[in-house]
Amino acid sequence: MRDYWLSKMFFDLQSPALAAQFRADPQAVMAKYPLDERVKRAIAEHDAPFLAGRTNAYLLRYYFFAVGMKDDEFVRRLNG
Amino acid sequence: MASLVGAFAASHGPLIIREWENVPPGQKQRMGDAFRELGQRITAAKVDVLIAVSPDHWSNFFLDNVPTICIGVGEVNDGPPEPWMKAFPHREMPGHAGLGMHIVETALEQGFEPSFSHRLKMDHGICIPLWRMELAKMPRVVPIFLNSIETPMPTLRRCYQWGGLLRKAIESYPEKLRVAILGTGGLSHSIGEKTMGAIHEDFDHETIRRFGGAPEDLIAFLDEGLPTRGNGSEEVRNWLVAHGAAGGRGFELVDYVPSPKVIVGCGFASWQIN
Repeated sequence: MRDYWLSKMFFDLQSPALAAQFRADPQAVMAKYPLDERVKRAIAEHDAPFLAGRTNAYLLRYYFFAVGMKDDEFVRRLNG
Repeated sequence: MASLVGAFAASHGPLIIREWENVPPGQKQRMGDAFRELGQRITAAKVDVLIAVSPDHWSNFFLDNVPTICIGVGEVNDGPPEPWMKAFPHREMPGHAGLGMHIVETALEQGFEPSFSHRLKMDHGICIPLWRMELAKMPRVVPIFLNSIETPMPTLRRCYQWGGLLRKAIESYPEKLRVAILGTGGLSHSIGEKTMGAIHEDFDHETIRRFGGAPEDLIAFLDEGLPTRGNGSEEVRNWLVAHGAAGGRGFELVDYVPSPKVIVGCGFASWQIN
């Protein structure tokens, strides 16, 4: 499935300015999007498998890159 | 009339830029040489306009509008928007509005239905190869974004047919122009999936071999194999466009470098145009 607003936030986080804001205050950025509580929790917990089921794989990878997670850790979480 | 003077393909993984300094020297040399070789062939062919076929990596389009194929008809397009591509020396790049629009019109006449855009951002998919080719003079670039990152995607057969359509459009364009096609992306790789980092060398070698055979066999092989070889492998669609434009005859493999550091089976190809 595609969670439109989750995907939209990941898409928008390609902007370095928004990504910096997100790293500093993720709640403030997430508040701009109508995300459901389960999705917000998955973001807070870096729950990559849950998020992977709701967005495009490239956007997922962009998101974890934007928040500064190393590839090894990203792949480990995806397979967790 | 315009003529097709070259068809090429090259990989474009972002780590070719971001991790370049960490690529083992032997692989770095080979990839650099392969890109430069393609660049030299484009220069030698005196290419006026390069049609660059690549996926849009979420630079222009989002889920509210996902064109299957979008032709750039602008006088000018933008350089890559990715922050890590900011050292690429072109912020704006001339297109060729006349040829771009002629491709759209020819396509519509022939029963193809492309989208079109008067201004596109040419992301790393196009600009990494152009950068690494070290072209002495940048030709005008007509970008074509062909969706290979979000399902459903165009069929492989249709991508091959697009190559023939592009050739028909080029050869019916009244201006004397030397035109080449560059398909970018592939070969096997996986992005944002559990298998990220995996390169399927055997599959890539077999893909390369089958480009030398009958197009229908190549397409059947890819149809069966692509779904389990990583989502990035779907970009071989752009190679099929170049292949179709060149008449479905095999290419010269300039090099194939499976590079774990850039997590891509990097392929470089050049077709003979008859």
